[in-house]
Amino acid sequence: MDGYIIATVIKAILILAVISALAGFGTYIERKILAFIQRRLGPMHVGPFGVLQIAADGIKLFTKEDFIPSGANKIVFMVAPIITAATAFIALAAVPLLPEFTLFGIDVKPIVSDMNIGILFVIAMMGVGLYGPLLAGMAQENKWGIIGSARTAIQFLSYEVVTGLSLLAPIMMVGSLSLIDFNTYQAGGIGHWIVWTQPVAFILFLISGFAETNRTPFDLLENEAEVISGYATEYSGMRWGMFFIGEYANMITIGFLASLIFLGGFNPLWIIPGGLAIILKVAFFFFLMLWVRSAWPHIRPDQLMWLCWKVLMPLAVINILITGLVMMA
Amino acid sequence: MSLDKLKNRNVGVQNYKMLDLGHTPESGWGKFKQVLKRSVKLELFVGLKVTIREMFKALFMGEMHTVKYPFEKLPISPRYRAIHEMKRLLESGHYRCIGCGLCEKICISNCIKMDTRYDEEQRKEVSDYTINFGRCIFCGYCAEVCPELAIVHGGRYETASEQRASYSNFEDMLTPMDELMNQKEYPGFGAPTPVADKNIKKTPLAY
Amino acid sequence: MSDNLITVTIDGIECKAKEGEYILNVARANDIFIPAICYLTRCSPTLACRICLVEADGKRVYSCNAKAKDGMEIVTQTEEILEERRAIMEVYDVNHPLQCGVCDQHGECELQNYTLELKVDSQHYAIADTKRGNVNWSSVLHYDAGLCIVCERCVTVCKDMIGDAAIKTGPRGGDKLDKELKDSMPKDAYAMWNKLQKSVIVPSNGTEHTNCSDCGECTAVCPVGALTERDFIYKANPWDLREIPSACAHCSSACHIYYETRAESIDNPTEKIFRVKNEWNYQTLCGAGRFGYDYENTTAKKDPEALAKAVEAIKSAGTIKFNSTITNEEAKMLQTLKEKFGVKLVNNEVKPFADFLSHYSKAAGQMLYKDSFADMSECDFIVSVGAKLRNDNPAARYLFNNIQKMNKGAGMYFHPVGDTLIPTFGKSIQTFEHKPGDEESALLLILDLFADKDKLPDDVKAKLDASKEKRTKTVTEKVMEEVTETVVDKETGEEKEVTKKVPKNVKKEVEYEANSLVEKLGANPETFEDDFAKMMKKKESFALVVGEDFYFHPKSKNLANLIALIEESTEFKVAFIPPKSNALGVALICDLDETCEGSTVGYNEPADFTISALGNGDFDIPAMNQQEGTTTNMNKRVVPLNAALDYNGYELNDIMNALGLGKNLTIDWTECLPTDKGFQLAKFDDLPNGFRNDKTENRGYVLANLSVEKSGIEIEDIEDNALEGDIAYRCNPQRQFNDFTNKAHQIFEKFALYASKERAEQLGDFVKVEFENGGLELPVEVDERITGDIVEIPDFKSELDVYGLFGKDRYAKVTITKV
Repeated sequence: MDGYIIATVIKAILILAVISALAGFGTYIERKILAFIQRRLGPMHVGPFGVLQIAADGIKLFTKEDFIPSGANKIVFMVAPIITAATAFIALAAVPLLPEFTLFGIDVKPIVSDMNIGILFVIAMMGVGLYGPLLAGMAQENKWGIIGSARTAIQFLSYEVVTGLSLLAPIMMVGSLSLIDFNTYQAGGIGHWIVWTQPVAFILFLISGFAETNRTPFDLLENEAEVISGYATEYSGMRWGMFFIGEYANMITIGFLASLIFLGGFNPLWIIPGGLAIILKVAFFFFLMLWVRSAWPHIRPDQLMWLCWKVLMPLAVINILITGLVMMA
Repeated sequence: MSLDKLKNRNVGVQNYKMLDLGHTPESGWGKFKQVLKRSVKLELFVGLKVTIREMFKALFMGEMHTVKYPFEKLPISPRYRAIHEMKRLLESGHYRCIGCGLCEKICISNCIKMDTRYDEEQRKEVSDYTINFGRCIFCGYCAEVCPELAIVHGGRYETASEQRASYSNFEDMLTPMDELMNQKEYPGFGAPTPVADKNIKKTPLAY
Repeated sequence: MSDNLITVTIDGIECKAKEGEYILNVARANDIFIPAICYLTRCSPTLACRICLVEADGKRVYSCNAKAKDGMEIVTQTEEILEERRAIMEVYDVNHPLQCGVCDQHGECELQNYTLELKVDSQHYAIADTKRGNVNWSSVLHYDAGLCIVCERCVTVCKDMIGDAAIKTGPRGGDKLDKELKDSMPKDAYAMWNKLQKSVIVPSNGTEHTNCSDCGECTAVCPVGALTERDFIYKANPWDLREIPSACAHCSSACHIYYETRAESIDNPTEKIFRVKNEWNYQTLCGAGRFGYDYENTTAKKDPEALAKAVEAIKSAGTIKFNSTITNEEAKMLQTLKEKFGVKLVNNEVKPFADFLSHYSKAAGQMLYKDSFADMSECDFIVSVGAKLRNDNPAARYLFNNIQKMNKGAGMYFHPVGDTLIPTFGKSIQTFEHKPGDEESALLLILDLFADKDKLPDDVKAKLDASKEKRTKTVTEKVMEEVTETVVDKETGEEKEVTKKVPKNVKKEVEYEANSLVEKLGANPETFEDDFAKMMKKKESFALVVGEDFYFHPKSKNLANLIALIEESTEFKVAFIPPKSNALGVALICDLDETCEGSTVGYNEPADFTISALGNGDFDIPAMNQQEGTTTNMNKRVVPLNAALDYNGYELNDIMNALGLGKNLTIDWTECLPTDKGFQLAKFDDLPNGFRNDKTENRGYVLANLSVEKSGIEIEDIEDNALEGDIAYRCNPQRQFNDFTNKAHQIFEKFALYASKERAEQLGDFVKVEFENGGLELPVEVDERITGDIVEIPDFKSELDVYGLFGKDRYAKVTITKV
């Protein structure tokens, strides 16, 4: 039991460290990829190929003045970014990141807690994450912030529905909420991937994933052209940085969920070992988000709502019905 | 004449061309058809294709646009109007400026000043000349008005300065004597046009 | 001379004009443009440029010398005329250096202007050029023959206006024109070119240097950059200069000038006067006005301690000593100080003039002399008494000369110091080199010659009659005599008797009426009668100029009365030359005292506490080119002075404010000038300062000549009080008037004893001059135009107190010893 606690703590710290580092690295990757797509070079001058730009940005963020507007609700203002970052990391607790492996003779399960309601937990945590932007926007006494938080509420709550409904069909097929079970369900190779049986669910999940992580084309929360910086308008320094660590962590989480639920998880792929396979899959989803950002314009809030309630949700319900009918047949 | 013509205040030539965008569907069914049409045509993926194509071009086909500015510079047009240069006479190395003061007069931001005097050889000597680059708007009038092609624009466009008023003196603007062989004529404003010879009226000479 | 107005039509516009007016002047007065290069408004037509061609009643005439006739129809432009004018401009442009960029006239050049005006865009004529060089004519004049278009404006102005006639046209040595051109090109252009190709301008004395008064008027009238001021060459472009209309403050004519200022250099942004310009068509400047401009007070600062000291000094002062280089406003302030604190006002330059003026006004019944110099330019007979014309007042001298040249006038010049320049002004000039002290006799002679004898009081008539006597003189007459000669015919060998008429000179004794006054005044009574008769031929209007000698004269009261008598009994227009710049204003505004009392405060004069614009006193005030104000000139005009340069210190008005007597600005005093002396309640800012196209002066306002109680003219007996022995005359060299001209860097005339060549040779290089009450040591300079033994001692340095040495006389008996 003691070993379990120690291992869990170590895993938690590792995940925190690696994912937050990756989140920082994500900003670099995003800048680089967007630059390449626009045939630019991106950051080049700090370190080789500008890699150390993250360090420079980190130093900048850490040393910036922690600024709290005089009219703000101080406690809420200070806590809000922590909610975003914390929920993002907590969500990762139920996600198996890699296949099991042996280190120094000890079997390591790269998951903090393989709970039997894994998917529910992850989705719930990401849902709780909406409190970050919501409170941040409301606490800062800024009209852009208020608009940002209003958008947070409608966008996150609406797409929560689509996420849940789209995952219901795979869950029905697998019959478990544990992500490891999902992985095991697809162990038979590419042909067994759930994406082939549930393509609609996959697409719906991806779309709502974009919305949940506040990515283009659904980046209405802090759209600069419309609401300055939305909920983050008054934030600076590390508090502002925490929103972004949270956002990038969420992007990684969505990447893992999509790979685990629909694309065979960390099962080996031909000659590719499972660990590498899932990393490639997650990397693909990460890239996809950047790619989409560079290609597509963002949409209006009313179009967002229209899409959610009039297109995606009915589709998801129909998908569940069909899945149920097929399973019963 | 009716007053309608007068009331049309869209003055100027109206050369707008309307793009054929089709009509916006009004019924729900029409909208659905439009969505379907666009989805089936995979218009969204065309966008993705374009961006990824550009990325490949940039990374693998050497079509990166970026110029690493302070380390590499794009060639500028020879007619570009940047920091002024004072030209010398190729034969004697003497500066071309005769101190006529036309540049000083025409300068619309009033940034050129010159002092002249009667020198020992009974000539007009430019004893001091300065341009305040804090004020200069690089309009090129000075180069255009100069009768001697003496003041011209050069290519040095980096004009950041520690002070708001940044001056340049006569000596600094003159072509250095050891660079005289490489002195080039400025083809921009004020230079003789290619048809100048054709347009000129010849003055008869009695020699 | 007649005032009949006639009507002419120029380009369809009806113009009124005086009979005998030139067409060009009529057009100019009516704002009609006729191009003209060589013509100067107040000088005789030169006919060098021929560009002012117009068509009058269908005939081509030169508008500068064709007189307007009643009902004339004038067309200023026809195709033919335009062609002619264009050809003239093309010819002017032949071989004119294309160096406009370096030329000082660039931008205000008439050659440029007319070339563009007449749309000369190509050249049809050519001739080989002649080398023409640069030369410095004098310490201020520079002539570049290469740029000269030989319009002869300089020659004309020097002869007709200045009177020096120091330059003339000389041979150019250019190629002869091709004879074919005569037929192929327009006639006037050919004639102009023919002349142009033969001449350049040279000093008329045959040397490289002009012998003239260095007035610089030739540089002002030059339409191109050929004649320039040496100090100004290549220093600034005309368009950079800020033009400030003002008045010259050096002598009493207060000529209208423009100060032209600009930042001194790139390093030094303070405004500096670069040159002085004038409206040369209407006003002629002298060398002091043109070159003596940089006398500004540069050291002044606002130092409250110095102000407190100055206030204290004025409060405790017994006397304020000042001179006439002062504005009316300052004079009024000093007068206010006198009224409030009872200080004495002492002014050596003005006091005798003020006294003279008051004697005159009592005798004549009017406050000021009847006429002004401006009215005299139409006169054809001018008499100058008591003025050393060449030195005292350039404007009066120009007038004297201009009358000879323009109106075919005659002149009489009475002065003890002989001057070789005056007789060169015209053919009918009689100079009287009389003894100092005989000025009354001069006035008597004038009465004798010109007065309506019925108007004269009996005692004067008796005096005049007493001076006449019958004498005989020997005259040579030509008589035709018949002579019979025997001539041998060469071919035939026959002898013949031929009778011829041969002229023969016969001497004859003739009786004539001799005037002893003429003899006394140093002229020959034998010839005078005939000469005078010649001078008086066709003369209609007469002018009398009265100079400084009369005010500084032991018998000035008697002289004033005689002048009043002349004014009453003759047709003379009479005007006085106030001795120094604003002497007339000071005489009218200030109530002057004879002698100093208590501690003295000097206003531009050395004293116990000196308030000075020269920068060397205890308290600084602005110089005349740094302040606004008015000055009263010899034409009885109150003219405005404008500030050309910055001034950072206090003014007299600040002292007045500290004393509780001040106004907001110095110019607020302008409307406080005494109206009972003829001044107007005009605000300074309302005073105009310029000329109109028809030559009328539109500057400031003219003083009203108020009438005063007339106490009758009393003529005292004339005693023989001529001075004998070594005599010094208080007289400044030309171009020097006061400490301020002396400060100017282009005025070179030294403080020295000026004498004729012979006298200077006797005296040596450096002399000591002893007066009754002191002495001076000074170098000797030759003035080639002086004749006689009287020496001239300048007074322009106030520190040397020359007025104190001379007392109330311009002549003093002195002992001169070599040092």
